[in-house]
Parts: sequence; C-alpha cells; structure tokens
Amino acid sequence: METLDIARWQFAATTSIHWLFVILTMGLVPLVAVMHTRAALAKDADKKAALERMTRFWGQLYLINYALGIVTGLVMEFQFGLGWSGLSKFAGNVFGAPLALETLIAFFAESTFLGMWIFGWGRLRSSVHVALIWLVALTAYLSAYWILVANAFMQHPVGYEVRDGVAYLTDFAALMTNSNAMLALLHIAGAALVTGGLFIAGISAYHYARRTEEREVFGRSLRLGVVVAAVASFPAYMVGALQYPMLGKTQPMKLAALEPGPGAPALAEQMAAQHGPGNYLPPQWMVHAQYVMLYAGYVVFIVSILAFLVLYRRALVRFLPLGLLVVAIAAYPVGEFVGGIIYYGTAGPNRLTIYIATAVVLAVLLWFGDRVARARWLGYVLAALIPLPFIAALAGWLFREGGRQPWVVYGELTAEEAIGPVSTGAAMLSFVSFTAVFAALAVTNWIMIARYARRGPAGTQLGTEELTVLTPREEPRPTF
Amino acid sequence: MSLETAWLALLGFLLCGYFALGGYDYGVQMLQPIVGRDGSGRKAMLGALGPFFLGNEVWLVAFAGVLFGAFPFLEGTLLGGMQSLVVAILIGIVVGNAAVQLRSRSGDAGRKVWDGLVVFGGLVPALAWGLFVGVLLNGVPMGADHRWAFGLSELANPFVLLSGVTGAVLFAAHGATFLALRTHGDLAERAAGIGRSLLLAAIAAFAVTFVVGTFTVNLTNAVAAVVFSVLVALALVVARFSLAQQRPGRAFGATSVAAALPVLLLGFGQYPYVLVSSENPELSMTVSEGAADTATLGLLTGFGVVLIPVIIAYQAWSWWTFRGRVDQQSPSYF
Ligand code: HDD
Ligand code: HEM
Ligand code: HEM
Repeated sequence: METLDIARWQFAATTSIHWLFVILTMGLVPLVAVMHTRAALAKDADKKAALERMTRFWGQLYLINYALGIVTGLVMEFQFGLGWSGLSKFAGNVFGAPLALETLIAFFAESTFLGMWIFGWGRLRSSVHVALIWLVALTAYLSAYWILVANAFMQHPVGYEVRDGVAYLTDFAALMTNSNAMLALLHIAGAALVTGGLFIAGISAYHYARRTEEREVFGRSLRLGVVVAAVASFPAYMVGALQYPMLGKTQPMKLAALEPGPGAPALAEQMAAQHGPGNYLPPQWMVHAQYVMLYAGYVVFIVSILAFLVLYRRALVRFLPLGLLVVAIAAYPVGEFVGGIIYYGTAGPNRLTIYIATAVVLAVLLWFGDRVARARWLGYVLAALIPLPFIAALAGWLFREGGRQPWVVYGELTAEEAIGPVSTGAAMLSFVSFTAVFAALAVTNWIMIARYARRGPAGTQLGTEELTVLTPREEPRPTF
Repeated sequence: MSLETAWLALLGFLLCGYFALGGYDYGVQMLQPIVGRDGSGRKAMLGALGPFFLGNEVWLVAFAGVLFGAFPFLEGTLLGGMQSLVVAILIGIVVGNAAVQLRSRSGDAGRKVWDGLVVFGGLVPALAWGLFVGVLLNGVPMGADHRWAFGLSELANPFVLLSGVTGAVLFAAHGATFLALRTHGDLAERAAGIGRSLLLAAIAAFAVTFVVGTFTVNLTNAVAAVVFSVLVALALVVARFSLAQQRPGRAFGATSVAAALPVLLLGFGQYPYVLVSSENPELSMTVSEGAADTATLGLLTGFGVVLIPVIIAYQAWSWWTFRGRVDQQSPSYF
C-alpha cells in the first residue's frame, strides 16, 4: 500500500470512530440538560427525586460515551499535522483558523464545565449546576459548528484567494456562513437528536418490557426520547433533502456520480481539461453509503413517528383536532418522500413499498393503538433499533467525504498533493496503532454503556452521595 | 511586538499551561501504584485529579489548535517530522485518559488492567515529552525542503535520552507535590516522602542533562537558555525545601514553575527560530516562516483578546470551587 492509502485509511477509521461517539454526545447532552432543569424546578419531592435519578442515570451513560469522544478527538486534532502537511501548507491560512477557534471557544469551556458538572453534585448551588450542563451542551454544538466550517471549506471552498499556490483568507464572514457548513450543521443536529432520542427511548422501552422497577423514571424517559426523536426527524429529513440542490451547484460531480450514465465521465473529462490529467471520479462505495444512510434514515424516522403516535394515542384521540394535526404533519415526510420520487424521477428500489407499508401500519395503529402499546416485544424492537441512526450517520459522512474524492479541497487540492512527507513504514505504524487502540477502546466502551444501561438507575455512580468528593471539612487550608 | 511574536507567546503560554497542569496528571498516574497502595487509595488519587482532569488535558488540545491556526507551516513540518514520537504521546494520552475515566466503571478484574493503563498513560507521555523537548533543543535534521523525520539516530543521543528521563522524573515529582497538597493523611504523607526523593532525583537528572547539553544543543541565545535552566534548578530546590517544611502549597507552586519553564527555555533559546536545523543553520525555520498570513493572525487576535482572559477566568473559577483536600473516605466519580 502507498502512504496515501494508509493515511486515508487512518483518517477515515479514526474519524469514523470519533464521529460515532460525538453524535451520541450531541444527541444526549441537551436532553440531560432538560432533565436536570426539570429536576431543579420540580416542587414535589417525589417527582424531584425521580427526575434527579433520571438525570444521573442518563448523565452517567453520556459521560461513559464522552470519555471516548474526547480521547479520539484529541487524536483528530493532531492528525492534519501528522499525515496531511500538504493541506496545512496550502490551506493553513484559511483552514486552521476555525480549528484554532474551535479549541479556544468550545473545547476549553466544554471540558472545564463538564468537569465541574461531574463533581458538582451536592456541592454547587443547583442553579449554577444546571447552568453548567447547559453550557456544556452549548459548547458541544459550537464545536460541531466550527469543525464543520473547516470541513465545509474543504467541501466547498469560499472566502479565500490563491496566490503562488497558497490560499489566503479574504472573507472570514463568507467562511463562517458557508452554505455547506450551515446545511450540514442543521442536518447533523437533527440526526444527532434523533440518535439521542432513540437511544433514550430504546433503553427505556427495554426496561419497560422487562418490567423493571423504575417505572416512573423510564416512563418519563420514554416519552422524552420519543418526542425528541420524532420531532427532530423533520429537520433532519428536510435539510438532508435540501443538500441535493446545493450539491448540484457546489459539487456537481458528487451528484452526477450517484447516477449511472454519461454525466459523471463527462464531468471528469471537463475536470481533466481544467486541472490536468487524473482520475476525477469518486469511489463507487460512496453511492452505497448514500443508500445505507437513506434507508436506515427512513426506517428510523418512520419508527420514531409511529412510536410517537402510539405513545400519545390517547391524548391524540381525546383532542381530536390536535390528533388530526399531528397525523397531518406526520404524513408530511411521506408526502415529501413521494415528492422526491417525482422530483428526481427515480423511485429507487423499495421506496414505494416502504411508503405503502407505512400507510398501512399507520392505519392499524390508529385502530389498535392500545393493544400495540401493551405488546412487550415492541420494547425489545425499539431497543434493537438503537444502532440504526449511528449506521445512518456514519454512512452519511462516508457519502459526504467519499463523494468529494479525489479532492481534499474541492477544485483546489487533491489528496495526492495534500499528503505529507511521511514514510510508508511510519504511516503504517501510526495507522495500526491508532486503529487498534481506538477499536479496542470503542468496543469496551460500548459494552460498558450496555452494562450500565441494563443496570438501571440503581447502578448509577454519578453524583451519588458516597461517591462525591467531600467538601473540605475542618482540615487545614492548603498553605501557600 | 509583532503579531507573529504575540502568537508565539500565546502558543508558548498554552504549552506552559499544559506542562504545568497535564504534567501533574501524568505524575499522579505514574505514582498510582506506589502512593495509592490499595484500591481506595488509588481511587482517592484519581479523585484528587477529579474536577480538573478534563480541563487540564484541554490545554494540549488548544495548543494543537493554535499551532494549526497561527502556525500552519510549522505545524506540518514539526508534527510530520516528529511523527513516531507524537504517535507515542497520543497513544499514551488516549489510553491513560480513557483509563482514568473508565476505571471505576469496570469490575474488579478489569480494574487491574485499567490500573496498569493509568500508569502507562502517565509514563509514556511524560517520557516522550521529555524526548520531544530534547530533540528540539538539539536541532532537527531538516533539509532545504523542510522535510525530516525523527528516527533512531535522533533518539540514540545521550542528551535526548537524558531529557526524556528528566521529563519523566520531573512530572512524577510534580504529581507528588500535587498529591501532598490535595490529599489527606497517610496518602499525603506518602506522597510528600516520595516527592522529596523524586525532587532530588529531578535536580540530579536536570543537572546532568544540562551539562551534557552544553556540548550538543543548538541554540541561538545561550544566555537565555542558561538563565532559564538555572531557574528550573532553583524552582526544584525551592520545592524540595518546601516539602521538607511541610509547605505543600509552595512546593506545588514551585514544581509547576519547573514543569513549565522548559517551554520558555526552548522558545527564548531558539528565538527568532521556531525550528532549528542541525544540518545547516541557514535552513532553520523562523517565526514568520512558520506563521500564518497577517490577515489570518489579525483575525485570530480579535478573538484571542476576548477569549484568553475569559478562559483563564473560568478555569480559575473551577480551581477555586474545588480547592481543598480529598481523602480516602471521599471517593469520587473517577
Ligand atoms: C475538518 C475536516 C474533516 C472532518 C470534519 C471530517 N473529515 Fe474525513 N477527511 C478529511 C477531513 C475531514 C481529510 C483530511 O481532508 C481527508 C483525508 C484525505 C481526504 O481526501 O480528505 C478525509 C478523508 C476521509 C475519508 C477517506 C475518503 C477516501 O479516501 O476516499 C473518509 C472515509 C472520511 N474522511 C470519513 C469521515 C467521517 C466518517 C467523518 C465524520 C466525522 C469525517 N470524515 C469528518
Ligand atoms: C477532523 C475533524 C475533527 C477534529 C480535529 C476534532 C477534534 C476534537 C477534539 C480535540 C475533541 C476533544 C475536545 C476536548 O478535549 O474537550 C473533540 C470532541 C468533540 N468533537 Fe470533534 N473533531 C473532529 C470531528 C468532529 C465532527 C465532525 C463533529 C460533529 C459534527 C465533532 C464534534 C465534537 C464534539 C461535540 C466533541 C465533544 C466531545 C464528545 O462529543 O465526546 N467533531 N473533537
Ligand atoms: C437518521 C437519518 C440520517 C442521518 C443520521 C444522516 C446523517 C448524515 C450525516 C452525518 C451526513 C454528513 C454530514 C452532512 O453533510 O450533513 C449526511 C450527509 C448527507 N445527507 Fe444525511 N442523514 C440521514 C438521513 C438523510 C436523508 C433522509 C436525506 C435526504 C433526503 C439525507 C441527505 C443527505 C445528503 C444529500 C448528504 C450529503 C451532503 C454533502 O455531501 O455535502 N440524509 N447525512
């Protein structure tokens, strides 16, 4: 293998693992913040206790996940320098700024405040404590924004000019408002909330199905998770669809390569005429990645919406106008879906089947809602679906990144030019070590998450009395 | 001061912060089996790091981010050249960081493995950062195209090896003074005792490294280098006496200074270069060659002026909030 291939594999493997943890962070932390706020505001003592247990339980799962988000992120931060010094030589003036700002604006605050939140139970005033988790949530999304500004520059470079083969920043506002970054951020935020919502709903449904004791905690969690997943699937879906017209303008090759036919080869010839000979066709796997994302995504959206209808069927039937409204809104993604088929002219395999099946299930649900809700196996099904949004999200990134090949900075710099002067041996060594360590840690981490999820709130360590660092008693103050 | 120099100063500040803060994390991790004799002792040690742990490591993240943002041309050359060393540092931190956070989440059998990884994750970065600074002080074999690669020949150099050892001992001593300050009872006493020996070892290691270094290092400002070296030695001596006088606060302050000063030694010693070529001094990379364009730096400065004080303020708030000692009876989340 060439150094280039190894460096690519390393970047793809490590970033993918980072992303699988990050998306859950982004999906969970706002919900933990909501729970914590509700616990702090609750007047009734029992309700407060339940909400607090709920916060600590989901907070603990979030923290176990976060541990790997951080350590894999640390490596990401160094990877450009390690493997891709050609990228910093060409685009450093432009591309480095958002990365630097990400660390100073987002990561510093996120890490500091999260440390305080973890150890602040029983120690900080509850308003301060709650404010901390909201700050952590805010900075998580800020960090996603800045990294996407950097990535969007590579997808669709703006706000720069090239002098003597080096890019210079000319318009920071354009860089910050790159349409590619904005759409990706909204799409990702939607996808992350769907992922977090379904994670919470799935684990809660599992405990419900097993009839574990904490019915109040898991009942509340189930409702919260399902509402968030169902509501967030709309923006995730709609912004995703909006990205196609944008691609038509900014990355015609990515769009063309999705369809068999003369479009892509013609574009490739055009590019060769413009940029010199070379292979300008993206790898074929990115087409599959797109379909994995789309189908996994559709299933997730539909399940979330159905779960919402089942869970809230009584309220929806009681307030019929509201019920009708919700059903009408729920029908919208399906309508869009059909619209998409008409608009793009390709039905794609099974799209119609999925649509019809959805309509049938919807009708059945309205009739037999209560019976459906009592079925225990549904809880297990919902739990089994937890990995699906992760698969969709990973495939989405593979589509995004694979589809812009061979460009690292679209139309400006190819991967071959971006690779640094690293020897094949050194590249291989770092690829193998990072991938092996990350994979081992990731698997261990997921096992831990599953174990703590199964134990339920009783097994939570976060914020429990005897596990908190005690406040200084009457011991001497440290002397300076 | 030009913009470039200002950003070099900020870069140095972030690295100083990382060495002083991350440094004691690694020290505590290394000392875990020696100072924390049993399970609860070990847990108390990690509890001592507790609220600060995530906030310490992020100084390195910020260093890397600012290195890329403000010195993109240095970044690729430096990290690319140091590849194997940087990979070692990162693997160490990744494993150690995960182990500190996840240790208490596993059963008894798994905990043994995690404990081993906690130590590994302290030792490897400490040693490798020492080597890293040593290599830079010696100058790197960089040719006209700014290409070079750290290899065995750089490693097999007495000064570089001694720097590695000094780094590990220094961070270990720093960790010990932190524990003496932040823990309680037995644990604090053990830490102080071990700290005293480690500080002696650190003084000896540093002195030998300094003497060997006078023959090998490649610096433009020898005076600055000597001044900072003397300051490091002085800080270590102060720390040693403060521990003996049971003033752990002052000892910790002194080891923090000693952990951070090598950054200034390097920065001032090499100024106006950021990377000195041992092949041919003319090929060394100057600050402005490494730095981003003025437009980019100007933009970043606008943010930096606001952000840096805010960052310092909230980190200080976190230190203040969690000041005071922890002990075996007060286990923690980690
Ligand atoms: C800020 C920049 C950035 C961000 C946020 C991402 N990537 Fe990326 N990715 C790159 C910057 C980059 C890169 C450094 O520019 C690479 C290396 C070679 C290349 O062409 O682009 C790359 C390559 C690359 C490849 C190899 C493509 C190929 O060689 O055909 C894959 C599969 C991914 N990435 C996957 C991901 C995933 C799953 C991400 C989700 C988090 C992700 N990337 C985020
Ligand atoms: C190549 C690109 C990336 C780099 C260099 C990078 C860098 C980092 C670093 C250094 C951390 C740890 C920060 C800390 O110590 O607190 C981190 C965590 C994080 N990253 Fe990334 N990251 C990348 C990709 C992404 C993407 C694509 C997203 C989301 C869209 C993202 C969102 C986050 C978030 C939310 C965190 C917080 C920790 C966590 O989620 O577990 N990152 N990243
Ligand atoms: C749960 C479902 C889904 C998840 C988790 C998901 C996730 C992602 C992710 C993580 C990316 C890469 C980042 C980005 O460009 O935003 C992406 C890209 C994309 N997604 Fe989705 N997606 C889902 C469903 C959909 C749907 C239903 C559509 C379309 C109708 C869609 C359209 C797109 C497009 C066009 C891109 C590529 C954008 C580009 O290359 O610039 N996604 N998706």
